[in-house]
Amino acid sequence: MSEAPATISRPQRWDVPFESAMGAVAVARILSIPPFSQIDASRFPASTSLPDILLNDTGLRSFKKNQVIVREGDYGNSAFFIITGSVRVALGKDAIPAEVLGRRQPEKKDFLSTLRQLWGNARYPEVRSLRRYKEAKAGAEHEKGDDTTAIFLHDIPSVLKGGTAVLTAGMFFGEIAALSRTPRTATIFAEEDCELLEIRWQGLRELRLRAPEIKQFIDTNYRKYSLENHLRETKYFKDLSPAELKEVANQTRFETYGSFDWHSNYKKNRDVAPEERIKEEPLIAEEGQYANGLVLIRAGFARMSQKYNQGERTASYLSRGQMFGFDEIAHNWNTKDSAPLQYTLRALGYVDVLVVPTSVVEQYILPKIPQASFPPPIVAQNKQINDRRDGELSTDVVEFLVDNRFINGRATMVMDLDRCTRCDDCIRACASAHDNNPRFVRHGHQIGRYMIANACMHCLDPVCMIGCPTGAIHRNALGGQVVINDTTCIGCSTCANSCPYNNIQMVEIRNELGEHILDQENRPVTKAAKCDLCVEQMTGPACVNACPHDALTRVDMQDTQTFAKWLQR
Amino acid sequence: MASTLTFFSQRRLINLGLLLSAVAAFWALQESYANGIRSTGLLSGTALFGTCLVLALFNARKKLPFIPLLKASTWTQFHIYAGWFAVVVFFFHTGLRMPNGLFEIALYSVFLAVALSGVLGLILSRIYPSRLRLYGENLMYERIPSLRQQLQADVEKIIWKSVNETKSFTLARMYESKLKAYFSAKKNTFHHLIGSEKPVNDLTEELNQLQRYMVAAERVFLAEVIECVKAKDNLDMQATCQGVLKYWLFIHIPLTFSLLLMGLLHGLMALAFN
Repeated sequence: MSEAPATISRPQRWDVPFESAMGAVAVARILSIPPFSQIDASRFPASTSLPDILLNDTGLRSFKKNQVIVREGDYGNSAFFIITGSVRVALGKDAIPAEVLGRRQPEKKDFLSTLRQLWGNARYPEVRSLRRYKEAKAGAEHEKGDDTTAIFLHDIPSVLKGGTAVLTAGMFFGEIAALSRTPRTATIFAEEDCELLEIRWQGLRELRLRAPEIKQFIDTNYRKYSLENHLRETKYFKDLSPAELKEVANQTRFETYGSFDWHSNYKKNRDVAPEERIKEEPLIAEEGQYANGLVLIRAGFARMSQKYNQGERTASYLSRGQMFGFDEIAHNWNTKDSAPLQYTLRALGYVDVLVVPTSVVEQYILPKIPQASFPPPIVAQNKQINDRRDGELSTDVVEFLVDNRFINGRATMVMDLDRCTRCDDCIRACASAHDNNPRFVRHGHQIGRYMIANACMHCLDPVCMIGCPTGAIHRNALGGQVVINDTTCIGCSTCANSCPYNNIQMVEIRNELGEHILDQENRPVTKAAKCDLCVEQMTGPACVNACPHDALTRVDMQDTQTFAKWLQR
Repeated sequence: MASTLTFFSQRRLINLGLLLSAVAAFWALQESYANGIRSTGLLSGTALFGTCLVLALFNARKKLPFIPLLKASTWTQFHIYAGWFAVVVFFFHTGLRMPNGLFEIALYSVFLAVALSGVLGLILSRIYPSRLRLYGENLMYERIPSLRQQLQADVEKIIWKSVNETKSFTLARMYESKLKAYFSAKKNTFHHLIGSEKPVNDLTEELNQLQRYMVAAERVFLAEVIECVKAKDNLDMQATCQGVLKYWLFIHIPLTFSLLLMGLLHGLMALAFN
């Protein structure tokens, strides 16, 4: 019996629009409002015209007075433009308590659905439901996405811990999280009934690329708000008064090193010797120089190294929220000494830094720090390679993590090969949790007895998301895991090619009968597939849960102490 | 002292303490039964069968990785120490007497086989992983046969090239007489099991001895062949040790189910006839 092959039309970028209710009338209305009315539409190619971007990558949202629009800490994949009304930004970290924000737990499978995996998994690899794809074309992503129930703030003065700022019609917000792939830095709620245009970040990226007026507008905002927000969150700046903070912010420089899409350069230079590669990394501050500013890492990563014989020894790596140069500035101020910088700081790929001049630190910050809280005085060090204390990573591990950029991982799969019996229980568990499709490979770079397996690390800076034309690869709003929306994935391979760690696979999909699903031209339809950290499973990552020999763990590379403890078990 | 202990050594101490406590508690219970002139055999038999049943559940747990039933590593720890407890209870139950009767001998032997295969599995799972890592490149078990074929094809290419370029047949003759068999199948299993490198050292030594019969150009090819011999040795080592780590459970688990079945029969017979 011969049947027609399973076919669907090849998935396209805008098969599933962000908001199905957007129509020509709404688009025309948006195009009449500045700054959209000022955009030269001829700068956009026909395949991604300005009206098409507005039609498919944006959605109109109405919010009632005091309704929460974005919550601090959530991962956002979109930015907002205020059409009418005004919104209020709650300033400061944890400005509104989490319980007031109605933060829910990520949705997990219930017990029965979990149990059903025992007999309900597909018999063939990469089976997909054709019906689901067809239904998705009729709907819109946002309507079925991870939208939250409307949350309203009551008795605002009593729940707010810090100050607020008002944003009015014609302004953008939310672009920091959307563009830098980081959590929302503030909670924003409607000050009055308002209408907003939500822009999926892929659309925002096109607008920034083709419309200089939008780019300038967004970039100015990005610098201004990210700077103030970051200072407010930084350890030694918390006690500053609003006026002092403003003064410090005015004198702080915003600097960027390296390239935003660093992965392509990294892949190119991967085979270059480490001692050569380090010289190519943009220099932020150099060992032996006077510390003329406190460097705060705003986004990205930096390598802290020290001269060691003919090379440079990597002492540590810094990421968002960490600072460089404080010990030297504090030491010099406290002891009237003139100790130079003890380490060199270099950008690893791409890094945004804030530089607070030393004079500003001495004037506003240091006088407020109690003597007991000062860092220990700087003494000449003669540290040897692999000198380490409990809870510290050894030099070879740090060099390995930095050279291979594993520092980017928030859930890096690390295996102890001296305990791993190669039983593959982890792979089987992974397959069971993913419809019989394992989502990682027990293979990868090794350092001594440890291996970093080829499993998605759910990066701090997920560069795989940069080029995705549909936003199919995105962060889970609640947990921040990098996940793929199979329905909106068009199989373009951009994410798989961008991943510096080769942790995303392109798979040919099949129907329930095991037949390849083909497009109109009889080519197999592909989808991107990777570890989703078992975001829907009751147990969390099945691989960790299934390892009988404590050989496998998932590590947040920002928490080096926990990792060091695991290595030193 | 505790702060200097690693997580694993602390865990070992705690688990050992728990095991000794369980054994002491069981011994006290057994004594109280004996003093009360109650059947200690029934007590130890029930405890032994129950423990074996719980131990066997570990296999079921492995099939349910997505159900929140504690981590598999926690089950492993429980399995190891409960296994030792079962051994102690077994000796309480048998009173260190040799079995008599065919069924008893079979039951006794199966228990010992399960216990010994368990201990062997534990030892292997602690020794082989580091040996696998240190010996050579880590390979996926399923890929080893195809890698072996590829390696043999590579060696044959080297030999052909050597013959064509040097017009000398020393390597080719060696390949025909010895290396062909070496590359075509898994070799030296026993030596790999016990961690001996004697066969590969002997073979490389034998190959090096051929140098005196070779022209300079052929020695370059010889060096390449020796590298392939070492790579093949690693393939065999990985296949042997990974195979043992994978397949020892195919002895341990069926024996466990036989033990449970025979234990049940034994219990029913004991209840029926005592």
